[in-house]
Amino acid sequence: MRFTPTELTGPELDLQAEVREFLASELPPGTHEPCLGMAADHDREFSAKMAARGWVGMALPSRWGGSDRTAVQRFIVVEEMLRWGAPVGHHWVADRQTGNVILKFGTDEQRERFLPPICRGELGFSIGMSEPDSGSDLASVSTRAERADDGWVVNGTKIWTSNAHMNDWFICLLRTAPMEDGNKHAGLSQFLIDLQSPGLEISPIPFLDGSHHFNEVTFHDVFVPDINVVGQPGMGWHQNTTEMAYERGGPDRWLSPFSTVEQLLREAAGTPMEDAVSGLFGELAARWWGIRNLSLSVARLIDEGEAPSVESALVKEMGTRYEQEVVEKLVQLIDEEYSPESESLFERLLAQCVVTFPGNTIRGGTIEILRSVASKGLEGLPA
Amino acid sequence: MTVRTAPEPVVVDELITETADRLFGELCTHEAVQAAEDNGGAPDIWEAFCETGFDLIAVPEAAGGSGGTLAEAIEVLRLVGYHSAPIPAAENGILGGWLLAEAGLQRPDGLVTVVPPRVGSGLRMASDGRSASTGSSAGDGTAACKTDAGTGSCTIEIDNDGSARLSGTAERVPWARSAEAIVCICEYDGTSMVVSVPASECTITPLPNMAGEPRDTVSFDGATARAAPAPDGVDADALAQRGALSRVALMAGAIEKMCQLTVSYTNERVQFGRPVARFQAVQQHLVWAAQDAALVRMAAEIAAREATRGDAPFEIAAAKLVANQAAARATKACHQAHGAMGMTQEYPLHHFSRRLWSWRKEYGADAHWSAVLGEMATGVGAEGLYPLITSGTAALA
Repeated sequence: MRFTPTELTGPELDLQAEVREFLASELPPGTHEPCLGMAADHDREFSAKMAARGWVGMALPSRWGGSDRTAVQRFIVVEEMLRWGAPVGHHWVADRQTGNVILKFGTDEQRERFLPPICRGELGFSIGMSEPDSGSDLASVSTRAERADDGWVVNGTKIWTSNAHMNDWFICLLRTAPMEDGNKHAGLSQFLIDLQSPGLEISPIPFLDGSHHFNEVTFHDVFVPDINVVGQPGMGWHQNTTEMAYERGGPDRWLSPFSTVEQLLREAAGTPMEDAVSGLFGELAARWWGIRNLSLSVARLIDEGEAPSVESALVKEMGTRYEQEVVEKLVQLIDEEYSPESESLFERLLAQCVVTFPGNTIRGGTIEILRSVASKGLEGLPA
Repeated sequence: MTVRTAPEPVVVDELITETADRLFGELCTHEAVQAAEDNGGAPDIWEAFCETGFDLIAVPEAAGGSGGTLAEAIEVLRLVGYHSAPIPAAENGILGGWLLAEAGLQRPDGLVTVVPPRVGSGLRMASDGRSASTGSSAGDGTAACKTDAGTGSCTIEIDNDGSARLSGTAERVPWARSAEAIVCICEYDGTSMVVSVPASECTITPLPNMAGEPRDTVSFDGATARAAPAPDGVDADALAQRGALSRVALMAGAIEKMCQLTVSYTNERVQFGRPVARFQAVQQHLVWAAQDAALVRMAAEIAAREATRGDAPFEIAAAKLVANQAAARATKACHQAHGAMGMTQEYPLHHFSRRLWSWRKEYGADAHWSAVLGEMATGVGAEGLYPLITSGTAALA
């Protein structure tokens, strides 16, 4: 494990400035309700505008509609979008991981069919991993895909499926062969499933505050053609593990409360600030500075051809806990009770943080699972 | 489109890391570090250190130093922390050595230490248990002025020819008992003055910190000294920043080593039929400690990089605050994972954890640096907050 300090190059600083100018003109402060990190609003128009700048699927090859950009360049775009609270929800999953999976494991036909529209910001993806009886123990998934003429027939249920009611496609981990004794990772395969498929039923699982993100997706003899199998049948576990590495360690794991903190500073401007309040802004800036530099170094390692899975897991575990700590510090500071419908934007955002951030250390692999992943990687540390 | 340029990279010669790591690896055994604590110093380790020239790294060759960059000196200090080397490397080099060189004062043969400036305004107690006087750092325009010196306070008079007389006491002066000269900085008639006091002129009362490292009380009792004005940019604030940076480097090394000890121990220690590192509850401690090790090392290296390039008040303040907080978390996690073994003198964990508890409090505790950072953060305002996080000190301009 080694996090090597890095810093932005001249062209990378140019990109950062370009993104900041874009955001200042598209979403001037005070004119939009900031989103809290990656749980962002779905706005196909905004996604299309970003795509027009080459900022969706940007690390994918230009042959498939991408911009041949690097992980660090994507990091720069993503961190600015998230800290601004931009509505990046529609293209989020495709940009972060599904595009990479299709590039890495898909056929040329799949790359041709999916990657250009992903890079145009058109396709929204949901992820089908969890099931009623499979959460952290993902290898136990039991939703089945059975062989049929020219394809597969799927039966079973996926849950906690974010935004299936708004998205276009579903990348799903399904069981294509029974579980084997001694090799619980065998018999799994990845599929691309059209969310409009006949027999596919999407029903909301209301979030604790009544909002609609989660869904239950039930398959009743849903037909999936062979051309929508990703990679080799039976290799789903390996592919899925690779996919999850893309999920980890990026700015989406530590920036979610930033717009809330920024808004507090905006609303507090002009009034005398107690030392404890001022000091808290200082402390938060310091911690973010440290975590950002770790996270940036992971992106640089990826560009150097490394697979920093332990480093990513460490950053995600730390970053998501930090997000919750930020909220807790704000809660301790504020005297008034705050309402999700307060006139103060800060109070609205804080109320939303309090209610939704317990999920930050759960989604994309619980911190307990991340600790297992990371601590196995620590064993190689020289003593 | 404007084309921005990145600053020149700051590179640390790998040979420095290898040499310091090998030197300390051989000399700073568990027994040697314990012996240094019992004896109040380790002259043999100090001598071997001086033979490499690392004792004066980043002090200009023109001033009798070894040359090299601040970043290289910080890398050596990281390894001092990693091996719990019982030597005043920071005091002699980038703190005291730097002050003497900047003011053009003669370096004595032998060890130089520095009186830590007052950092922060939190409640302090004198070492005898009485509440310490706060002192004043402002020159009053008369021939004598009162200055802060560690947690004590002393009075200095300076003649036109640079000879000076000190009275009063300075507290928590690292390794004063082994030093040839004790260097301090004070405001005198509105000018920052560097003062070098021969240790033979002082009465030194030994006092250990929590790690058993010397943090002595120095009574000046009318000691005669040499004083010279410091150039612009060299003052008590600058010394406080360098001192904080030195502690961050030491802490980065100590946390990393403590974390490695913990990973090894928990993979060897078997309970309930398997290594305790296999238990999720223990993995939590390992992961949290590893994160803090990574965080503090990153903070130290970036702060060192920026301080090598120029002023780095944001990076140094952020690094010290992050290191202080990380030290609290990581010592707790590593001790918990070690169980009773970590509470013994025979097992080396305490060399690192006790140093971290001490270094955490030196050159600015959490409240001080969060206040400093708070002024910066509120000063840049809402729109400037993220640029401060991404660009640091450069965003303050």
